[in-house]
Amino acid sequence: MALLNNLYEKHYKKLIILSYSILLISIIIIGIHYAITGEFFQRDISLKGGVSATIYNENININDVKELLSDSFKDYSVRELTDFNTNKNIGLIIEVADIPEKDLRNVLKTKYDIDFENKEEYDPGLATSSFSETFYRGLLIALLFSFILMSIVVFFSFRTFIPGLAVISAALTDILAALAVIDILGIKLSAAGIVSFLLIIGYSIDTDILLTTRMLKRHDAPLIERIKSSMKTGLTMTFAAIAALVTGYFVALPEELKQMFLIISIALVFDIITTYAGNVGILIYYCKKKNIT
Amino acid sequence: MKLKKFLKFRVLFLLFWILVSIIAINPRFNAEGVSIKGIEDNSTAALAGITYDSDVRLTNLERITSINNNKIKNIQDYNNILEKINNSEIIRINTNKNEYVMIKEGNLGISVSEVQTSNIRRGLDLQGGTRVVLKPEQELNDQEVKDIIRTIGSRLNVYGLSDIKIKQSTDLFGDSFIVAEVAGASKQEVQDLISSQGKFEAKIGNETVFIGGKKDVTFVCRDDGRCSGIRQCNEIEQGLISCQFEFSIKLSQEAAKKHAEVTDKLEINSTGVGSSYLSKPLDLYLDNNLVDSLQISSSLKGIEAIDIAISGPGLGSTRDDAIDEATKNMNKLQTVLITGSLPVKLDIVKIDTISPVLGNQFFKNAIWVIIATVIAVSVIIFIRYRDLRISLPVILISSSEILIVLGIAALIKYNLDLAAIAGIIAAVGTGVDDQIVIADEIASGKKELVTSFKEKIKRAFFVIMVAWGTGIASMLPLFWAGAGLFTGFALTTILGISIGVFITRPAFASIVEALEEN
Repeated sequence: MALLNNLYEKHYKKLIILSYSILLISIIIIGIHYAITGEFFQRDISLKGGVSATIYNENININDVKELLSDSFKDYSVRELTDFNTNKNIGLIIEVADIPEKDLRNVLKTKYDIDFENKEEYDPGLATSSFSETFYRGLLIALLFSFILMSIVVFFSFRTFIPGLAVISAALTDILAALAVIDILGIKLSAAGIVSFLLIIGYSIDTDILLTTRMLKRHDAPLIERIKSSMKTGLTMTFAAIAALVTGYFVALPEELKQMFLIISIALVFDIITTYAGNVGILIYYCKKKNIT
Repeated sequence: MKLKKFLKFRVLFLLFWILVSIIAINPRFNAEGVSIKGIEDNSTAALAGITYDSDVRLTNLERITSINNNKIKNIQDYNNILEKINNSEIIRINTNKNEYVMIKEGNLGISVSEVQTSNIRRGLDLQGGTRVVLKPEQELNDQEVKDIIRTIGSRLNVYGLSDIKIKQSTDLFGDSFIVAEVAGASKQEVQDLISSQGKFEAKIGNETVFIGGKKDVTFVCRDDGRCSGIRQCNEIEQGLISCQFEFSIKLSQEAAKKHAEVTDKLEINSTGVGSSYLSKPLDLYLDNNLVDSLQISSSLKGIEAIDIAISGPGLGSTRDDAIDEATKNMNKLQTVLITGSLPVKLDIVKIDTISPVLGNQFFKNAIWVIIATVIAVSVIIFIRYRDLRISLPVILISSSEILIVLGIAALIKYNLDLAAIAGIIAAVGTGVDDQIVIADEIASGKKELVTSFKEKIKRAFFVIMVAWGTGIASMLPLFWAGAGLFTGFALTTILGISIGVFITRPAFASIVEALEEN
């Protein structure tokens, strides 16, 4: 506890720097990704267009299929489909970008005897590229609008500039840091993945609002005590959320859900730093300036 | 005293909503049979008096309990028993409401699903089916959108596919899409039924005699071998078989009059062998492609003909293929003659089929995910407070929140899809966060006796209300993005966090306060 007192009383400026370095490093990582690939992140089939087909046959080996596809296609992925009750493999989900479905059939035909007309055996789904492009841009714009609307609500609620800005920059850091980690891990984002960034906004803001309210609007205990009490509450909140999300990640079967849980979990880990280093630091600075004790 | 009353009111308000939700969901664990999920138009079942209403609550759907005194427990039983019954044998179907007797003539025209054990409607990805995103070739006005939704709906109905959701969505760029979700249908069926504009025209020379739709065509024979079927197959060249389908229709008085007018102007071409035809044939066009050209018997000249036979070919490399193709073409033609054409052409821009195997698996999994996340949160809450007086209410309140979201979804007949499940989990996560804020505010009061309970709650609710506001603000743009595919997610998230703020959270505060007092 003494360490915490010391940290917040003497080194709060360093905490601010720590938090904003994460923002800066994230921007650099995303920038490098953009310079190399021309995209801020890799998109999966739902945002890119192409073919996504499911084969229900437990005897087809995933690695064999991967090898077969690698000869013909550049951008593909194969996932195993397992039964929840028995945990047995029941089939494969194949995704290939930017090709007509016929091409996938032709490649599969060379090695496997599949009844392509039987939906219980082979289940094709298609997404055309131009639609996927508008769909993708639409979601990005939705994300931008969400962020703007959230900022308006935050400023309207606090009616002060610096604390409001601190809350918003913490949310921005959480989003960009999660995205940078996604880039490093080489995960392909799905539509659901982008939507989960909207949820980060909601989850990230909670603890920041709590902190800001306790630090600026209460005077029932010394500032440092108010920080500590809001930390105790806020960390419980964050850990409860992370516990739920990580559990969800391991239990969920649908890839869309898994990816959502993963992205929000990553963001929440960063949220601990952005809230209790960055945001606290700025608020201590603000309180000192405004003589709030 | 006043405060106590207020506390009581909040808890009662929560209990009221829990009750409403249970009634809305109406769980039935001992329901037997298979539920009727659709009846084909003019089918054997429809003629025997079986009806289907898509607006009815799932647990009120008519259930088939036995066929010819054989008990039906699941779809497998249903299919097995029907398979054993031969054509032209009598079928006696008992449902929970009635008894129907009919004679088997091929397909009965009934779509069934496993018995519905609650009113929770599963979205496509949780039960299997096909989702199509369509883009109109030109901008539509409101009337055209309504016409499209009606026509697509009735086309699918013709096939007994009545578990359909069709909606329009406009995205941020002003592009408009039609999204159709058809449960229990394969991609091929839906593609054929929806993607063609279905503009049917019967012309003699340049004059249109009648078009598809109820105005001109009053009856179309389907599923009745006496007036509809494949009539003959011929090998037209090496390895190419052509089969001819034929079915009869009835024209309206107006269309029949038109027929008389147009044919009256034609000359009679005598072939000299006894049969003579009019100088011009009746040409059948579907979406501006000639389907068939029919010679008109000279006896019909100037006659107000009401009964017309429609025919066309189907090609294939084998006889079976040709028959399949001809049957498919016949079904398509029959459908557009019944339902008429779409006001504009629609392009399929995205089509996904989720297999029922996967859908059911995801549904079961979704339930486990919800249970597992609630347990995980409970563990953290218990570790932090080590006090059942706080942990238990948190768990109960979170569970009741899920129940109320599901209840309201069932009440407004909303289909819950995978994204909606994610939304529920997200909302519960935020809900737990808020409860932690309340619990800590109240607990902190032990040290500072000065602050009143009301003040503490006020403090907690400031944080909660701002979080609620940002939560809603961040979800709103989804209603205008992603071709409407994420509205379910946005809606359940908003619903979940709002139920939390206005129903469950106040009750939680009261419960914890009451427990603290003791």
